[in-house]
Amino acid sequence: MIVTLTLYGALGDAAADGRVTLTLDHGARVADARQALTEHARAHWSDPRESLLARSAFASDSAVLREHDAVPDNGQLSVLPPVSGG
Amino acid sequence: MNPEMLDARIVDIAEGGIDAAAALDFVSDPRFGGLACFVGKVRAQNLGRVVTGISYQVHAALACNLFRGFAERAVQAVDCELKLSIVHATGRLAVGDVAVVVAAGTPHRDEAFRACRMVIEAVKHEAPIWKREHYEDGDSAWSEGCSLCETSREHDAGHARGQHHGHGHG
Repeated sequence: MIVTLTLYGALGDAAADGRVTLTLDHGARVADARQALTEHARAHWSDPRESLLARSAFASDSAVLREHDAVPDNGQLSVLPPVSGG
Repeated sequence: MNPEMLDARIVDIAEGGIDAAAALDFVSDPRFGGLACFVGKVRAQNLGRVVTGISYQVHAALACNLFRGFAERAVQAVDCELKLSIVHATGRLAVGDVAVVVAAGTPHRDEAFRACRMVIEAVKHEAPIWKREHYEDGDSAWSEGCSLCETSREHDAGHARGQHHGHGHG
């Protein structure tokens, strides 16, 4: 499945237009998306920001997801580095 | 929570600021004798650096959905009738601009204070919002924050108890 990851906060300028598109196996889970994004960052980003990725959460448009949750069927994931609202 | 009891919004600063008086109006009700309101503004310094402004980025759809969850938790905690207004800004704010308002209305003051405090803490630590501070020397930096990743949250909780980080208000 084709998955588009939208990068927020300090991750946003890591990729052109703040998005990364990856191909994952059908039935992939959030942990698989995290691993694939980390490998993509190592290969393509000048600074792979592995520590920040490790502390980032993944979300759909309606909920923060857990590692064992399935990647949404619409193939859209948001990558949320540590938050700092208020 | 009844949707009529909650005002949860993200406001683009380019389209106008946040009106704390409007938030208090929203939570006002003839049944309620206690109103509490928290207003967070951009301040002129952080960690020894002079701040000239903050750019906020918000995942608006997710944020508003989570705001509804924060409101549900507050209702459960105070166990009384409750109206809430939760409004956060996005875009580039100047020093003194209002970044966030949380207002709570309940029959009595204790529940209003508790609900307001609970919700603003959730907004600060759990909402998908990021701030980039701009400094007088032209530099800028993303603020450190709280991880929403399940494997990092316990570590962050311990860190937060040990020291204050980020550009907090009040």
